[in-house]
Amino acid sequence: MCGHAGQGRLNLYLPIAEMSVNVLVLFSMGAGVGFLSGMFGVGGGFLMTPLLIFYNIPPAVAVATEANQIVASSFSGALAHFRRGTVDIKLGIFLLIGGIAGSALGVVIFAQLREAGQLDLIISILYVVFLGTIGTLMVVESLNAIRKSRKQPEAAMPRTRHAGWIMRLPFKMRFRRSQLYISVIPVLVLGALVGILASIMGVGGGFIMVPAMIYILRVPTNVVIGTSLFQIMFVTAFTTVAQSTANQTVDVVLALILMVGGVIGAQFGARAGAKLKGEQLRALLGLIVLVVCARLGYDLIATPAELFSIGSVGGH
Amino acid sequence: MVRAILPFVFAALVALPTRAQQGDVQIGLADDAIVISSNFSGTDVVVFGSIEGVDRDVVRVGDYELVVVLAGPREEVTVREKQRRAGVWVNGSGIRFANVPSSYSIASSAPLETIAAPDVLEPLRVGFENIDVQLTSFGQNVEQGRAARSRESLLRIKERQGLYRAREEGVEFLNPTLFRARLDVSANVPIGQHRARAFLFRDHEFIAARTVLLEVRKSGLEQAIYDLAHRQGLLYGFLAVLMAMATGWLASVIFRKD
Repeated sequence: MCGHAGQGRLNLYLPIAEMSVNVLVLFSMGAGVGFLSGMFGVGGGFLMTPLLIFYNIPPAVAVATEANQIVASSFSGALAHFRRGTVDIKLGIFLLIGGIAGSALGVVIFAQLREAGQLDLIISILYVVFLGTIGTLMVVESLNAIRKSRKQPEAAMPRTRHAGWIMRLPFKMRFRRSQLYISVIPVLVLGALVGILASIMGVGGGFIMVPAMIYILRVPTNVVIGTSLFQIMFVTAFTTVAQSTANQTVDVVLALILMVGGVIGAQFGARAGAKLKGEQLRALLGLIVLVVCARLGYDLIATPAELFSIGSVGGH
Repeated sequence: MVRAILPFVFAALVALPTRAQQGDVQIGLADDAIVISSNFSGTDVVVFGSIEGVDRDVVRVGDYELVVVLAGPREEVTVREKQRRAGVWVNGSGIRFANVPSSYSIASSAPLETIAAPDVLEPLRVGFENIDVQLTSFGQNVEQGRAARSRESLLRIKERQGLYRAREEGVEFLNPTLFRARLDVSANVPIGQHRARAFLFRDHEFIAARTVLLEVRKSGLEQAIYDLAHRQGLLYGFLAVLMAMATGWLASVIFRKD
């Protein structure tokens, strides 16, 4: 569909996706999502992957290539946090161990779903479920916060104790930087869950990792982002290598366009974000997330124009 | 011995013109390869040809008709039909077809149905509906109607992807015996060896065919990236990660706040 769409020099042939795309469109997508991710402090993979799929990039290529792009954005973010010393490396490494196991499992599941012809469907369903949940939570939470802030000046989140079941788990370990003494089991499980998502959905998983670290593991907010970026960077790097080896679906040319657009967009986004209030930002992001969710959900339910699909066997 | 044979040779030579009266066809490509470079967005393949063995003084434009087909490497394809399950459209089990041309571009000097009857075109595999695709043994117990529907969809989807293309009037006569065919090749043309085949017709009868090969390949960098990805996946993955880290590091250096 995009074959003859654009004209002349702006068209670029992607060697792995094996299609001709418009560089300007992809660069703008990278910059646009980068802007949002800079503004809201999120990775943006959960917006970028659906956008690539809407642009007719094969979902398998979109997911694997997006993991590659996230390596760039999370590395640049993690470096900044390293300089400020806001990374709990020990906690990050345990999350990473779980993450690599999860990602390896995800890549195997990915290959099998692809073989069975159900990959696109599962990617869409996962997106609808996660985007729908996260988007709704963000909108509700931020609207409440906006309402509250009108009544009284802000109330800081109290640092409560862990839920009882987490305290009862064995294999406890001390994480000094986070001032935590908890079992490694929830840490490994959380890492693995995010690893699976990274390889099947092409996301960093920050939107699961950050709330889970805050609300379940009770990690102090100042080290949450840095530690999460540290883990995401390594997990997406591992995912990139694993996808390249198992499925050959990483398109480095596509990834490079998105990376460059993304890092530039993120800078402007961060500046714009500094001028807006936190609750307003979260409400806005929640709405964007819900719009993408609605579009994907609609495609699942609406009667498709073409009921048939074809795939080459044993091909690329 | 030689004398014994000679009469036959003469007889054959004399007999030849009656067969040659019908004519033969020779073709050649303007370029013998398509090279896909970074700005590739589809192209035209030009096939030149001449009708041979006919009396140039007698033959007129319109006496002969030509069909030129450019077919890509054959592949095995799975066709799946979506079904609504629990409100969601889900891919059903697939039907496999073997020997499917990955691309099929056709140009003719007139609409196909005016050139020859379907029973002439069918054994020649000329025209979308005559493309030779076979159900693999894997799908033999597939019910007839479903197989036919899947086959039809396969052709329709290939056409929509721009891989199967037809250009009536795509063959032009430069003079009564010289012709030029222009075939559409889309941006997503599969790499590999393609076959260009010209079919010569006269009075609705098939007379002769000729094949030339066309190589479609990616240009240096695109090919190198593709080869590396498929032959050295691990190395490719590490390089992709290094590229990402370099980009991320560069960004953090350029946009450093302090």
